Amino acid sequence: MTPRKLLVTGLLLASFVVHGQNKQLLYDFIEIPQAAMINPGVITDFQWYSGVPTLSGISFQAGSSGLSVNDIFANDGLDINDKIRNRAIAGMTPRDELSGTFQIEILNFGFRGRNPDNFYTGGMYLEGDAIGYWFRDYAILAFEGNADRLNQRFDLGHLKTRGEMVNVFHFGVNKKVDSDLTVGLRGKLYSSILDFNSTRNKGFFITREGQNNILESTVNADMQSRSSGFNEVRNAVDDGNVGGVLAKRAFFGGNLGLGLDLGFTYQLGEQTVLTGSLLDLGFIYHSNDVFNYTLNGDATVEGVEIILPDAVSNPDTDFWQDLVDEIEGFIPFESNRKNYIAFRPTKLYASLRYNFGEPLDSRANCECGLSASTNSIRAKYTNSLGGQLYMINRPRGPQAALTAFYQRRFGNFMALKTTYTIDKFSFTNLGLGLNLQAGPVNIYAMADNLLSYRNIADSRYASFQLGLNIISWGKK
Amino acid sequence: MKGILKYFLFCSVSFALLSSCVEDQDFGQFDQIELTPTYEASMLYIEAPETLVNDAPTNIVFTQNFNFDAFSSDVFADRVLDGTVTYIIENTTSKELSIIVEFLDAEGNVLDIENFDIDPAPTATLQRDIAYGDTGRSIEIIKNLSSIRVSTVNESDNNSTSNQADAKIILKSSGKFRVQLK
Repeated sequence: MTPRKLLVTGLLLASFVVHGQNKQLLYDFIEIPQAAMINPGVITDFQWYSGVPTLSGISFQAGSSGLSVNDIFANDGLDINDKIRNRAIAGMTPRDELSGTFQIEILNFGFRGRNPDNFYTGGMYLEGDAIGYWFRDYAILAFEGNADRLNQRFDLGHLKTRGEMVNVFHFGVNKKVDSDLTVGLRGKLYSSILDFNSTRNKGFFITREGQNNILESTVNADMQSRSSGFNEVRNAVDDGNVGGVLAKRAFFGGNLGLGLDLGFTYQLGEQTVLTGSLLDLGFIYHSNDVFNYTLNGDATVEGVEIILPDAVSNPDTDFWQDLVDEIEGFIPFESNRKNYIAFRPTKLYASLRYNFGEPLDSRANCECGLSASTNSIRAKYTNSLGGQLYMINRPRGPQAALTAFYQRRFGNFMALKTTYTIDKFSFTNLGLGLNLQAGPVNIYAMADNLLSYRNIADSRYASFQLGLNIISWGKK
Repeated sequence: MKGILKYFLFCSVSFALLSSCVEDQDFGQFDQIELTPTYEASMLYIEAPETLVNDAPTNIVFTQNFNFDAFSSDVFADRVLDGTVTYIIENTTSKELSIIVEFLDAEGNVLDIENFDIDPAPTATLQRDIAYGDTGRSIEIIKNLSSIRVSTVNESDNNSTSNQADAKIILKSSGKFRVQLK
């Protein structure tokens, strides 16, 4: 297999292995410390916890909303070119996407402050995120061309993509305001390793009947791509020093940014809980190793045009070169190294949970629970049922997902959460999360889109998350 | 602790593998993907007024080489498979004219010749499609095309004038070519 085939196959495989960015299984799974990463205002009863470095939180997600590997590579006897034409070019829209993300926690810790109502968290994680929308009109031009498509307008805005790799340092505080309300705030410092985006493209290409000649070709373009970090990494590949350069850029040697996470948990009643969080409200300022490209302008050509007798007054005139120069003058392809700001893909979570069944004894180091006189920390119940909303800001506007969940706790040593999620990728997404607490050792694992395992090649996404922590509740 | 994690991972992966299926996939189909779009655009437009025909000292109204490197550039020549060049000639002059279009390579050698004999106005419109590739002339002509020589010969008198306003002879042309991108 050639490297190109490996790359294409890998990308397609990735599209069914994992998906999107929604962590609906982890959200509000309060037994797991990493739940605080997606709601800084989550209820915590730990005295302290520490993630096992690099193993405390691993998640890998990706998705393809319009196509699966099976759609193209199934051994079904059909011509692959017909499958691409029918299922990709004709079957997908410019709103379909191929997206993916990964997150690896390098360090994650949390501890309760002198004021027991305050819980602090901090750490560092590496995150990669990319999305590319289906560039349908470019695909039509590449697969079929513009012939016999008179007056069809090819939309250059179909090129819409962004991606980044960033190391995130974070520190946050979770504060129990009163017995009903817990709020959280987390500050983030982003150290960008790589970034690219080309999301504000406009314009078209069209072939029409010519005014003079047979055909008239028009390009109207307002396009740009911006990137940072790639040149340095490319040079590092040549020098055999990729690791060193990536580490340098991950630790403040690249481009820096600031961000904020907010969240809350509010008890609507003894057994009803409302939560919400807003994540990655931030930006990165790119000024290091920046390369931008632009294509702006408008040109209409009808081939080489010669109007006699004036045109031959200078016999040395090179009409072809004049035409090329004219087009390049009207639509210059230029590069620059201007600094730019890239906003992070902001995410919103919200949930409404109803707890019922047997109350559980709290492990928290407090006088709490149903029978406690102060009742500063609410009791957990064996069952929880509810709904969640997830939204993420994407280049083509917000994407949303709705989740219904049921959580079952087996004492304080095990908890299961099942979810049913609908979003643009699937209406049949069932997920399952498991949390195990063996003494101080906490292990969790979660998988998504379980029905797709019937034929994993036909899945448009799946995801997994797992992690390992040490937790103390401070009780002797 | 690592032992616990290994055991946990082993169980999780084993469960996932045992409970999942994959229908037969053939990734070798990648080699069968054909990216052979067809592109079309105008090539050359020449317009000459009737006065140019009448004022020519001989019956050769004009003959001129025009540089045309669009097809000989590597990005096109290495990929073109076949195609068609379409000519449309409109004559609103009062003259019967012959137009000769010659494709020349970089050394000035003639690769291809096309002759058009066109009647005077008002019935003088002519369209011709010339195929290149497997079903037509050699595609090497297109790959090596570097310039186009156009000659116009007046086959009639040089003093009559057309009764049509703004009488002229017009040569239009376009190319439609299939290229192999993969």
